[in-house]
Amino acid sequence: MNRVPVPTADPMPLPGPVWLMMALLLVTFLLHLLAMNLTVGGTAIALLCTLRRKSDAFAGRLAADLLRVLPVSLAFTITLGVAALLFVQVLYGNLLYASSILIGAFWIAVIPALVLAYYATYYSNAHPGRSGALWLALGLLLGIGFVYVNNFTLMMAPQRWLAMYRESAAGLHLNWSEPTLIPRYLHFMLSAFAIAGLIVFAAGVWTRSTEYGQWLLTQGSQWFVAPTVLNYVVGMWFLMALPKNVLLDLFTGNLLGAALIGLGLLLPLAAIMHIVLAAKTEKTLLHARLGVAATLLTLVVMVGLRQLVRNAYVSPFVHLSELSVSSQWSVIALFLILFVAGLATVYAMLRPLAAKPADAVASRAAAGD
Amino acid sequence: MNYPLWQIGIPGGLLIAFVAVVHVFVSHFAVGGGAYLVLLERKAHRLNDAGLLEYVRKHSKFFALLTLVFGAVTGVGIWFTIGLVSPEATSSLIHTFVWGWAIEWVFFFVEITAALIYAYGWDRLDRATHMAVGWVYFIAAWASLAVINGIITYMLTPGRWLVTHAFWSGFFNPTYWPSLVLRTGMSVVLAGMFGLVTGLRLTSPVRERVLRYAGIWILAGTAFLVLPARWYFASFPPEAKTYFTILLPAMQRVIRLGIYAAGLSFLLAALFAVAKPAWLRAPVVALILLCGFTVMSTGEYTREVARKPFVIGNYIYANDLRLASFPGFNATGFTASAKWVEASDQLAQGRQIFAIQCGACHSATGYRAITPRVQGWTPDFATDILQHLPVLRGTMPPFAGNEHDRAAVGAYLASLSSAEPGTNAAELGHRVFQQRCSMCHTIGGKFRPLALAGTDADSIDGLLQQLDSLNSDMPPFHGTEPERKALAAFLQSGAAN
Repeated sequence: MNRVPVPTADPMPLPGPVWLMMALLLVTFLLHLLAMNLTVGGTAIALLCTLRRKSDAFAGRLAADLLRVLPVSLAFTITLGVAALLFVQVLYGNLLYASSILIGAFWIAVIPALVLAYYATYYSNAHPGRSGALWLALGLLLGIGFVYVNNFTLMMAPQRWLAMYRESAAGLHLNWSEPTLIPRYLHFMLSAFAIAGLIVFAAGVWTRSTEYGQWLLTQGSQWFVAPTVLNYVVGMWFLMALPKNVLLDLFTGNLLGAALIGLGLLLPLAAIMHIVLAAKTEKTLLHARLGVAATLLTLVVMVGLRQLVRNAYVSPFVHLSELSVSSQWSVIALFLILFVAGLATVYAMLRPLAAKPADAVASRAAAGD
Repeated sequence: MNYPLWQIGIPGGLLIAFVAVVHVFVSHFAVGGGAYLVLLERKAHRLNDAGLLEYVRKHSKFFALLTLVFGAVTGVGIWFTIGLVSPEATSSLIHTFVWGWAIEWVFFFVEITAALIYAYGWDRLDRATHMAVGWVYFIAAWASLAVINGIITYMLTPGRWLVTHAFWSGFFNPTYWPSLVLRTGMSVVLAGMFGLVTGLRLTSPVRERVLRYAGIWILAGTAFLVLPARWYFASFPPEAKTYFTILLPAMQRVIRLGIYAAGLSFLLAALFAVAKPAWLRAPVVALILLCGFTVMSTGEYTREVARKPFVIGNYIYANDLRLASFPGFNATGFTASAKWVEASDQLAQGRQIFAIQCGACHSATGYRAITPRVQGWTPDFATDILQHLPVLRGTMPPFAGNEHDRAAVGAYLASLSSAEPGTNAAELGHRVFQQRCSMCHTIGGKFRPLALAGTDADSIDGLLQQLDSLNSDMPPFHGTEPERKALAAFLQSGAAN
């Protein structure tokens, strides 16, 4: 039997317009991505620097700076991820629950892994110079990322579900037969390293009058450029591994897809160029600003592109525009009011800290999240 | 069945309970602990007590480490778990309350930020600002409790929502306020309990001051709990009261255990924390924490049981099937509408339906094992009994499906029976009662007692031959004639079952 058992969408109407929930999904996912990149990439860089600290005093210093940030950035990775997970459930819950169950054992393992990784970053912060806990944290975080990539590709491939379920209902599957699995994962993880490198670079620009700042600037630019160049190769692999219909849809389905791919190819190039110029020339601030802006735009483009890919994948199974909607406007309004009030409160709490920058990297990372 | 069933050998409900209880224990501390910190900080400033201030500082790090990491991640863990175990109910909750969760998320975001700034901002903020951040934390934490409380209580008592399907009528449901007051009180108790944990290692005189202070939080919180607890239980659905008194008498032991644990921690805190803090040692603190954990778990367990057989009251059953889907299941068959069931034979089909419909609460041989309960059952009898699940002892949902589905599960249940035909005539009657009557009747008990002692055996035998016409909820007697005679004799004897 070749049935495709896509669960029927919930009989309740959507409690808000699709565009609003999609916008919130994409925005919170983008913010989650930034925090995740700082956490995962930052853990990798902190480990690298811890291993190098004997030969390079600045490496030891950067490791210590990053270790102060990591528990905070992990907290925000989770918090922002929760929001994205909330909105992806309301839009694609019927697909996501099914795929989560099929990989259930790994999916639930994310929770203890997260607790352990979290405590490992706290431990590393309290014991700088020791690399054991950092290895553990990095391994766990990379593992969690892999589980996520598995789930979010499997949710788009219901045609594989029944065969997997027949084989085992214990949730021990991973989505190995997905051709984009590995390039997609590598693409995300390399980006994480690059973005963390960019944040180190930005901290260097901020404190470039000091020797340490110059070191951060140079190192950070290298940590950004190398994986980004590599990501062109991985990105091509990813693109080519996409199913024919998805690729076709992306390029010819509408103008947006082709435009985003074009921007996705050009913007990182611009970013690399400006970051290199910022590190090599006198006009550091200008090029740094342009480079960071180009990178942030790249992230926006990539998040959009990811959604277009998802649209193409799930187009046979999901028709968001056909779902019935009954918007809970009073609650939505309350949410928006509280959201603005919440942001204002956070700003009010952070302002007195920014006034006394005890540690440039830590305070800005906390504020930037 | 819309979703695949995650089969891990233990009922999913047990996994949810485990994650949830661990989470609520820490998350209620995360609420009360916020106020505890700021009030103690204020006290330290007022008394100009540097030792006390140092304690508050250390406690704030402990607090952040426990609540931000363990508390927050296990909260996400509940979400992961319910999505895996009850996807249909989770989807329904998300569709009803996504904006409630979005609001809760705003509070959570503020809470996390404030907690980090409070714990790590001691040297970077002036007193007033630091304490203000502490209050922001407490208010946001309490507000997130107030939001989640609306969703949890809705699951127990959806109230008018069942008619209106409107957010606010589900949110402010009949148990919302008593539960909120109760949980607030519990968070005060837990703040005091964890205060003892960090206070224990201090040296005199700060130690005494802190332990007394934390002890008073436990005493005040526990004393406060009495009235809201009564109010809370009084607002339970009327069926729940029947569960606790007649259907599941063991629940009274659970409730009593919670009350005793609260009483014991009250006495221990009064003696060792408030009266003689010098006597307080780690094992006593561990015992007090265990009491707190017991109060929380028995409370949550009681709420879960009161909700049965539903996971969302009168809307979705504990096995994740929607009440509204039952006419469809019964008309077209359960297997036909179950997207994930593929069975080669009747027995395999029965096993799969059992896993879907019964697996949330029963396993074949492990937790609430079904095998001992079906000893001596024949396929016919089992198939018949499945029509009457809601009247059986316990709080079961009805069977979903047509006669083919029922026959398949009946065949599967009967296949679990390994009972040998009895040889001893005197034991036979008792055994037949156990196997065929005891799921709905007791002799001399509270649950549908049978009082036939002394009635003449032939009349009883006559009744046994027309059970289904006595009451439409009773299946006809399926056993052999010797079994029936033995049962009649057993009932006549009036022996307790």
